[in-house]
Amino acid sequence: MSSDTALRAEALGKRFGRRGRALRDCSFRLPAGRVCAVVGPNGAGKSTLLTLAAGLAAPTEGTLSVLGTTPAAARPRVGYLAQDKPLYPQLTIAETLRMGADLNPGRWDAAAAEEVVAAGDLDPGSRVRTLSGGQHTRVALALALGKRPELLLLDEPMADLDPLARHQLMGTLMAEAAQHGTTIVMSSHVVAELEDSCDHLLLVGDGRIRLSGDIDELLAAHLRVTAPESAALAPHTVVDSRVTGRQLSALIRPAGPVPDAWRTSAPSLEELVLAHLRNPGAPSLVEESAA
Amino acid sequence: MTTASTGNRPRTVRWLLRLHRPALYGWAALVVVLAGVLLAVRGPLTDAAAEGWRQYNACQGEDTACSYDQDAILRYKDWSGYATFAVTALPFLVAGWAGGALTGRELETGTAWLGWTQSTSPARWLAVRLAVPAAVVTAGAAVTVWLHHLAWSAGQGRVDTAKEWYDRFVFHANGPSTVALALAGLAAGALCGLLLRRTLPALLLGVVVTAVVRLAAEFALPHLWPAVTRLAGTDQVANGSGITVDEGYVTRSGAHVPLSHCAWDRPCADVVARFHTYQPRSHYWPLQLTTSALILAVAALLVAACFLVLRRRTGATHTAQAPAVPTGAAV
Repeated sequence: MSSDTALRAEALGKRFGRRGRALRDCSFRLPAGRVCAVVGPNGAGKSTLLTLAAGLAAPTEGTLSVLGTTPAAARPRVGYLAQDKPLYPQLTIAETLRMGADLNPGRWDAAAAEEVVAAGDLDPGSRVRTLSGGQHTRVALALALGKRPELLLLDEPMADLDPLARHQLMGTLMAEAAQHGTTIVMSSHVVAELEDSCDHLLLVGDGRIRLSGDIDELLAAHLRVTAPESAALAPHTVVDSRVTGRQLSALIRPAGPVPDAWRTSAPSLEELVLAHLRNPGAPSLVEESAA
Repeated sequence: MTTASTGNRPRTVRWLLRLHRPALYGWAALVVVLAGVLLAVRGPLTDAAAEGWRQYNACQGEDTACSYDQDAILRYKDWSGYATFAVTALPFLVAGWAGGALTGRELETGTAWLGWTQSTSPARWLAVRLAVPAAVVTAGAAVTVWLHHLAWSAGQGRVDTAKEWYDRFVFHANGPSTVALALAGLAAGALCGLLLRRTLPALLLGVVVTAVVRLAAEFALPHLWPAVTRLAGTDQVANGSGITVDEGYVTRSGAHVPLSHCAWDRPCADVVARFHTYQPRSHYWPLQLTTSALILAVAALLVAACFLVLRRRTGATHTAQAPAVPTGAAV
């Protein structure tokens, strides 16, 4: 199958016993080479989606193909960083990287991994259990990057980092993506964290894909409008609307030109995300061009 | 450190041994100490106790104060008891470690995911985690069981307080059923860790499951080989030495009835003999080997369950060949 697709989900669903569903009927396509933000509130199913892609859990419905094959078959080409960044505390940093080399023969890029560690000014001889949160994340990221993955799945990678470390690690990641064409998928519930670095969006709400596509295209497909209270928004698709005084503000997907009398502006990514999350009933937009 | 490691196979065994180095050293130390105790029991402790018993038996019937080495006899009793206890405990130790450290903790802390997202499949991750400890456990347990058998044999016929071959603990400590139970403990612990995904509960449940396997084996033991029946007059005790399967009276019609059939206040006229069905000493090895085979079969089932649980959780576990993926369809 086409190697230009990093992830393709078709009617993907995941149920956890009787506890209910984490994901339902998710269909989307992520082109290779993108830096994709998986955004959504806590518990929306972001982590579940990433574990399915990493081959750590099996879907209960539908299919998910990774780099043109099954998650299990893609395993050597996929890097994954879980939310709590598990590492063996009894190993030193150097041992951790050596383990990466031994467990990924033929793929391991020792120089790249060591570079990530060195950039954090870390002593390779120190034990993982002695590291701070940011240092720990850096080592886990070095292990994931040393594998030289074609697809890198990061679950809330920056959650416990201070702003400086966050900036540095994001820089490392983006350099990696640019240099090797790595597809990066990272989840977060903080939109602002991802806005600058990502070019693709996957908005997950209540286990469903609410928005999927190129961020610029998604933004271009929406319009923030301010109109008189009495204005009829049809035939445009209304995502979110609110009346303040005698004014109606709404976020719409225009079906055609809007009246000149309305004041319009381009929404920010955060507005777009929030409008969709505030209105679970609003229709989803999964970009056709991406399918 | 350079880029490519030689060969294209991930070196998983090496890292399993590195991660569990303390447990490996601890196991080796335990086996060495236990071997030392068993050799001491076999040699000096048995010799001294045998001499003590010789002195004691020599002064039987004499009224004069008799001197014999009672301390040596007690020392033998204590240390041979400790040794049998330690050998009996080995499978439970293995089960607790397997449940706690081998799988339970890895799933609790998420390091299992770390292993499953390298270039090796979860199935291989588990296979290595079962095979390597199985080899180490088999080697260590086999040595201690063999030495236990030697130590026990040394006391037979020489030390009057030496345990009989059919003693509940000695029977297993003397033979391969303890090795088989250690392997079942390994599999049981690993399965509990995979199911519970927590260190302490998996450790405890692993030990409990192993105890259940052992109790079931003890329960089944007398029936695992055709037993011998000995008859005697109704006023005698038809006592064969060994593991009792059944005993009672034989009626005129030839039926076997339990001992409670007759009592002081309820004499019975229809019985013609007493019987005792038991496993004699010559059945030791057949019983040992069938018990071991049975426990190994349980271990195999537990291992299969481990892989099933893992596959259920992670989907296809093989990294090698991928089934066809539906192509093209527009979203």
